[in-house]
Amino acid sequence: MTGYLLRRCLGAVVVMWAVATLVFFMLRIVPGDPLSAMLFDAADPAAADELRIKFGLDQPLPVQYAKWFWLVLQGDLGNSIYGSRIPVSQILIEAAPRTFSLAVLAFVVSVLIAIPAGLISALKRGQPIDHGVTFIAFLGLSMPDFWLGILLIILFAASLGWLPAIGYEPLSNGFWPWLSHLILPAIAAGTAFSAIIARMVRSSMLEVLKTDYVRVAAARGLTPWRVVMGYAFPNALIPVITVMGIAFGLLMAAAVVVETVFAIKGLGRILIEGILNRDYPVVQGAILAVSFIFVFVNLLVDVLYVAIDPRIRIE
Amino acid sequence: MTDSPRLPRSKFRASLRDRWNEAHDFDPADPLVGLSRHDLSGPVIERRTVLRLLAASGVLTAAHLLPGVGVRPARAAAGGTLRAGWAAVGEFRTIDPAQINQVLLFQISSNVLSGLTHINPQLQAEGDLAVDWTVDDTGTQYTFNLREGVTFHNGDPFTADDVIFTYERSSDPDQSIHSRVLANVAGIEKLGSHKVRFSLKAPQASFLVKTLERSSGRAMTIVSRGALASMGASDYGLRAVGTGPFRVTDHKLGQSMTLERFENYYDPERPKLDKIVITPIIDPEPLAAAIEAGDIHIIGGNPVAPELVDRFEANPDLNVSTVPAPGFQGVFLNPWRDPMQVSDFSKPIEELKREPGFMVRLAIAKAIDRDLYIRQAQFGRGTPAYGTINPAMGFYFDDTLGETSEQAFDMEAARKLLADAGFPNGDGFPTLKILCTPAARRDCLVIKNLLKKSIGIDIELDTKDFPVLLDEFQTMNFDLCRLGSGGDFDPDDGLVDWVQTESKFNGRKRNKDEMPFGLFSDPEVDDLVARQSATADVEARRTLVQKANRITSDKVAQAFLFHPADVQVTRKEVDFPVKSRIPGLVDMDRVTLSG
Repeated sequence: MTGYLLRRCLGAVVVMWAVATLVFFMLRIVPGDPLSAMLFDAADPAAADELRIKFGLDQPLPVQYAKWFWLVLQGDLGNSIYGSRIPVSQILIEAAPRTFSLAVLAFVVSVLIAIPAGLISALKRGQPIDHGVTFIAFLGLSMPDFWLGILLIILFAASLGWLPAIGYEPLSNGFWPWLSHLILPAIAAGTAFSAIIARMVRSSMLEVLKTDYVRVAAARGLTPWRVVMGYAFPNALIPVITVMGIAFGLLMAAAVVVETVFAIKGLGRILIEGILNRDYPVVQGAILAVSFIFVFVNLLVDVLYVAIDPRIRIE
Repeated sequence: MTDSPRLPRSKFRASLRDRWNEAHDFDPADPLVGLSRHDLSGPVIERRTVLRLLAASGVLTAAHLLPGVGVRPARAAAGGTLRAGWAAVGEFRTIDPAQINQVLLFQISSNVLSGLTHINPQLQAEGDLAVDWTVDDTGTQYTFNLREGVTFHNGDPFTADDVIFTYERSSDPDQSIHSRVLANVAGIEKLGSHKVRFSLKAPQASFLVKTLERSSGRAMTIVSRGALASMGASDYGLRAVGTGPFRVTDHKLGQSMTLERFENYYDPERPKLDKIVITPIIDPEPLAAAIEAGDIHIIGGNPVAPELVDRFEANPDLNVSTVPAPGFQGVFLNPWRDPMQVSDFSKPIEELKREPGFMVRLAIAKAIDRDLYIRQAQFGRGTPAYGTINPAMGFYFDDTLGETSEQAFDMEAARKLLADAGFPNGDGFPTLKILCTPAARRDCLVIKNLLKKSIGIDIELDTKDFPVLLDEFQTMNFDLCRLGSGGDFDPDDGLVDWVQTESKFNGRKRNKDEMPFGLFSDPEVDDLVARQSATADVEARRTLVQKANRITSDKVAQAFLFHPADVQVTRKEVDFPVKSRIPGLVDMDRVTLSG
């Protein structure tokens, strides 16, 4: 187990390095001068030249890369080249709890919707309720999250005034302020994923329900609830957990649209704004953070397999 | 400050009528509308002067006449927390004036930091940290008496040394992106603990309104030496320390910035509010929902999306105030690309009008029905533009240009010009690409449709992110480019920055061997712009400004589109006084909340 984990961690580092390197060079191939955007109305050639030297943008690409990589190895992600030149690590540290909070709540929302929906759909296969759940799942899947977010804002914030329309409050400001600001974005972000997970639960359950041990359990006179929850469902969870792991990773990285709609400054928005401003250090840092999350979540999923199914041995 | 009238109704009406008549009692031909230089200068402008200026600019309403009333007559008290939403922005990466490059950022810094001067709603300079000043006969020596007893938010006293420190910091391109603004300043001298003298290399009309101004000026917005030393430039950018009415108490990057009342502000009457929380909101729809739901009280930042303004106006919980914004928007035509090529703009206009390249430029400019464009692209808000000088500048704005400029809309004349250039009905005309940002796509689609409909030419949209667009604009790598300017409070902003041969927005990064000039070059315009810049006499300056503006319009330095409207949206409980309604800014020191 330890050896496996070490190998996976090493693999993760290689993946993160490859992604970051690719992004480093691709960013510089993309047209657009970061200093043009930064200076805009100042447009002072002397200031531009000074800044180009200061940020090392006047140096050959391999030199820029070597310097950047050496600093990353020391844990220094550099400073933003836009505005106050804030350390990238500070930007990421401030944004990460917002994205993490949103992702966790969205994940909870999606699981709370998906598992009952998937179970009902599987157990009532072919019946109207199955068709209804399937229809709703496709609706959720095909509904753009930004549109759902706006609808939620209009209904629950603007019309009913139940929840705040925008913004984020840290948990340190109280549980309800934190939760109230995240309910709508979590529903907007989690709905599509709930549809995906519900479909996975349904198909996985249908497969398990056909197995001999489930039939035997039913023949032994166990209650349907015990058959489903004690025998079928735990065994149907393996592929579901894989999907849930991917979903959580995606939620962390792909919540950008929802973050934008609800004015929450998370990792996704940092990445997008960094790209728009050609703020190289920020984009590189954010990509590293996102790739780390993906790799870590996948590793966690692998470990979870063992915990859920004793038949699986990682070695 | 918002006392209700206590007079009997009949007397109150008569009083309003008298004020109305008094405000309009001036000769329209008089550039100073019956006001003396004394009325217009000095650290304070009287209410009578304000009403006269509003009347002269045609925006005076009965509401302005109410005693002590601002833009809207809400009853309000001091104190409270104002929640503001800043439109179309994701974060406030800096409010260090040395690094600010957007209007939406100096809207905030203007509430936190002070300058020696600050513009008023008529875009004239008033004393801020300067009590008064004198100018010598050569127009190059400005001596300022500074306000005494002023402290920074960290408790440090404000002295002449802070002015000198700010000057030295802003002159250093390594520390400030605005060093160019101080290029005309030869030096600064300390004459006492609260007295300084600036020496200019040449007279500069915009010195008070631009260089020393606290908001759009930025180069001489006074920063705190002590805070910079203790915080470092990076942290200072997030939580700038100044002498302004509000101090930054919290800044969660990308989430919100909290400003709190500065108890030791030099004016004990200001600020009124206890606290302001500013949230950046990128998308227009959540922004609209936030103000409709009461989550925010006021919208600042980038211009409100034009499609939302009608909706806001129809909402009884909201106030919408619209004034001309200080800026212009247009379509730049690359003079080095066929079929719009013009190699020498210095020729007389009649001679230019015989050149096919110029005919095409003029045909495009004349074919755009600005009123229709504003209706379709801006939902009816804005002023047709024919030059870079905007109506917010009031005194300098030439409102006859729309009728007399060569660019005045005339579809038949445009068709004839195009036919004379060899493209009858647009036949054989190459498809041109128009460079625009994603945010300006609708504008570009409207332009495309107008040009197709009026003169039969095809335009293809070329949408690029802003940094890419800016790069291609400055390297002159485009056919047409939809761009413009904001925060233009002085004629220098429209002229020096855009239409001189050496202007910073005139193909600065072009290949100078292939393109000897950028977008436009005319020695006569260069001379006029240089002279207006150095002319202190406002009437003489206006003549020069308007002449330069007319030539650039006639010679199609660009196809001008519109001057944007500054739409301010607040909830009813916000009282935003007229004294603070400075186009393009959101000064909240006089703002109060009711309820």
